[in-house]
Amino acid sequence: MKAQPRGTDGSLLLSLPWTLGALLVSLAPHIPYLAIWISVAIVGCAAWRYAIEKGRRMLPSRWVRAALALICFLGVFGTYSSISGVGPGSALLAIMAAMKLLETRKRRDQFVLLFISIFLVMSSLLREQYLWSLPYLIFSTLIIITAWLRMSARGSETARQSFATGGRLLLYAAPLAIAMWIFFPRLASPFWAVPVDSGRATSGLSDTMSPGDISSLSMSDEVAFRVRFEGAVPEPRDRYWRGLVMTSFNGRTWSGSEPRIGAPASQQVAVSGEPVAYEVTLEPTRQQWVFAMDMPMSWSLERTFMGSQQQLFRVRPIDQRVAYSVISYPNYRIQTELPVVFRNWYTNVPANSNTRSAKLAREMRVAAGSDAAYIEAVLAKFHEEEYFYTLQPPPLGNNPVDRFLFDTRRGFCEHYASAFAFMMRSAGIPARIVLGYQGGEINPLGGHLIVRQSDAHAWTEVWLERYGWYRVDPTSAVAPERIEYGARDAVLNGFGESWGYSASSELIHRLTLTWDAMNAKWNDWILGYGPEKQNKFLQWLGMDDPDWQKMLLTLVTSVIALILAISGLLMLRNRAPSRDLATVMYQRFVKKTGLEQSTGETAQEFARRAAIESTLPAAHVDAVTAAYLDARYGAAGDAALANLKSAVAAI
Amino acid sequence: MQRGNTLEQLPASADAQHRVVDSIRKALASIILGKNEQISLALSCLLARGHLLIEDLPGLGKTMLAHALARTLGLSFRRIQFTSDMLPADIIGVSVFRQNSGEFEFQPGPIFSELILADEVNRATPKAQSALLEAMEEYQVSVDGETRPLPEPFFVVATQNPGDQIGTFPLPESQLDRFLMRLEIGYPDEASERELITGDDRRLLLDDLEPVTGPQMLLELQKSVRAQHVSEPLIDYVQALVRSTRESADIEVGLSPRGAQALVAAARAYAFVENHSGVYPDDIQAVFPTVAGHRLKPAGSTRFRSPTELCQHVLDSVAIP
Repeated sequence: MKAQPRGTDGSLLLSLPWTLGALLVSLAPHIPYLAIWISVAIVGCAAWRYAIEKGRRMLPSRWVRAALALICFLGVFGTYSSISGVGPGSALLAIMAAMKLLETRKRRDQFVLLFISIFLVMSSLLREQYLWSLPYLIFSTLIIITAWLRMSARGSETARQSFATGGRLLLYAAPLAIAMWIFFPRLASPFWAVPVDSGRATSGLSDTMSPGDISSLSMSDEVAFRVRFEGAVPEPRDRYWRGLVMTSFNGRTWSGSEPRIGAPASQQVAVSGEPVAYEVTLEPTRQQWVFAMDMPMSWSLERTFMGSQQQLFRVRPIDQRVAYSVISYPNYRIQTELPVVFRNWYTNVPANSNTRSAKLAREMRVAAGSDAAYIEAVLAKFHEEEYFYTLQPPPLGNNPVDRFLFDTRRGFCEHYASAFAFMMRSAGIPARIVLGYQGGEINPLGGHLIVRQSDAHAWTEVWLERYGWYRVDPTSAVAPERIEYGARDAVLNGFGESWGYSASSELIHRLTLTWDAMNAKWNDWILGYGPEKQNKFLQWLGMDDPDWQKMLLTLVTSVIALILAISGLLMLRNRAPSRDLATVMYQRFVKKTGLEQSTGETAQEFARRAAIESTLPAAHVDAVTAAYLDARYGAAGDAALANLKSAVAAI
Repeated sequence: MQRGNTLEQLPASADAQHRVVDSIRKALASIILGKNEQISLALSCLLARGHLLIEDLPGLGKTMLAHALARTLGLSFRRIQFTSDMLPADIIGVSVFRQNSGEFEFQPGPIFSELILADEVNRATPKAQSALLEAMEEYQVSVDGETRPLPEPFFVVATQNPGDQIGTFPLPESQLDRFLMRLEIGYPDEASERELITGDDRRLLLDDLEPVTGPQMLLELQKSVRAQHVSEPLIDYVQALVRSTRESADIEVGLSPRGAQALVAAARAYAFVENHSGVYPDDIQAVFPTVAGHRLKPAGSTRFRSPTELCQHVLDSVAIP
């Protein structure tokens, strides 16, 4: 291969800044996720390339470029230990685009760069699709198109004009995009799947619970999920969002909630009363848990099952935002019969730990006389004795229950749930811990319920003869406001300080709620436009029984129709002033002569030709011509037009 | 024929006016044989209140045309032969000191006539040329700080020999612009030439020619010309033509807005002469080469040899709305 010339002559100076700008704009959404050295390298390459063009210097040689490309490739591989997946993939794409800059000499190379920019913009959507993603997407596409136009712009065209042209092009494309978005068949399980990065931090609940290991609980405002109720919103104290259930305790850590489909779990549930219907939009957790209010009886999420402790889970982790509707029954009974094997399992505690608490439990059980009275007594103990609710409890060490019950006496939901469950088990009452969310805040602007990470909660279920599993929330005995108001409102109502937590100001809270309402609408209507919504919407549009063939057909037809309409509109706008009636009549006459009027041939010249070449009588030709000229160019107007009409009709 | 609301201001009806125009044309055609198109154009030029530049070889009847025009229109006529030693005073006139009255008295130059034939205008120095050209533009002359109006109507018919390069001062483009039309007469056809050779001396015929009209009638005709209807599509056509001259690769400098105005003014007069109900595209096409030819600057690379060819190319490439 012949070495390519490497000199630059400054001919790209006009368009290069735009190309660089487009590249950087499309890179921006990736920057928080890219390793810092990659961002630095890209900006460096861009600056280097611009300096070369400005100084009309030489581009780096082939060997330098090859070496740099190899280094960058290895660097990406070293940083991510992979080259597939969204993270490493976009990092590789970005760094290679920067490398491409170093061999960009001609317009063709710039085209390639802009293509890569479009890929980069789109690949950022694989990560997250926020509300602000759309404006940013439009903005960056506009910049890329403008860069494109700048490349072919004539010298006299200003950047502003190119920008305006780009905007117009986007506007023309908008109806097409909307039609595609509406009609493109949404499939329940897409053919393609975006590889989700493993090792990404998960948000939400952890699979194990070790009260006392974490010495403070963060009040993260991050949204866990949003709920839209079809009817009235249940009271905060009824809003227990079941997540996962922990069944075994090793003296320090609660665990053992691997989802298992045991005996048909939902059949162990008997429900009564009025159901509550609602739709949950769950943010990605990268966990399997699917949250629903006690007690869910039907749910719309695919491949989602009820585990043996009535917890819902999806086979595939929730790696993208999902929406599902659920019907729950607040009145329920679970497992009124508990086999001995299970009874032993649910009362099992390690023999040689937390001995003081175990002893206290046995004494209190004997004193109480019945299971129910014993539960009351333990709750009363939390309520009446010096126990405090705090988000910053002291660490508890090796026998956390003992230390919590007898020494520190302060903690949050996990501490109370853990201690309570331990006390129950020690007294021979089956008990388990449920992790999930409790409460949530109603957004008055959207009418939906926001459940945040700070609403995470732990409570217990105890098994009683004839009742089955019965929910007991020991936290409510200590901090009833946490349950009555929900975490957020309790903080706002001034309980926060006693918990060691300070709230943001009212104004910021209002803004947050507004933003949240917009996000909820966005999620509902744009991101949540899945198979179900599409089906519903298309039926509303009048399509019977939409299936993917019909959708594709509609898509293709509407896209073709739109393209025709838009191009027709453009042609109409660029056409010469519309021809009037006189011209229409005259053209009819021209057609009858069988001749063609050439460009620049006047009506009189044509008449002279037509008198000789066509079969029409010369008198007719002259009459029409005179009438036409009079009608179109004369002062007479309608009278002349009538003349023309009769003259043409006479032929 | 309808002429809008100018009708009642005219002492003569529109039909009468057209009869007058036809007799002028007929009279001219009896002197200048076989040149009906050029006669119509020259007449249109005067009716549009424009000055005429005739550019052609000697002996093709340039002077004869100018003289015949003056004669038939009943205008006072002066011929100024331009030479290289000519001074502005030779055109405009001088103030002479009268011994017996003890005062300066202005001796009007030949320019104080209704129709001037400026023969071989490119032979004079730019100084003398500009004296004429300023008078053409201003319709008045300034002598010794006194402004003297020129007669009304006032026409200049200038002639220029194209082949003559030595000792001439070709008019610059900016001054060519002062002429509404630049006309080429061309050789007569066989039959006309035969008659010219065998027939009477044209000069004698010219002396016998009776004036068809007078200055007053001419002013009225000019008024009617200005009232000639111009339709919207015609203006579109003019604009398309002008745009085409500006965008064409064969033309370095296209028509100016003043050029476009001149085109419409000339076409109005031509349409009037042709008795059209409005200005037709044919009228535009008829006057286009003579109006635009000397206003365009052909590009160095053009394949067209003459401005007339270039103009024809423009006409052939622009669609008529």
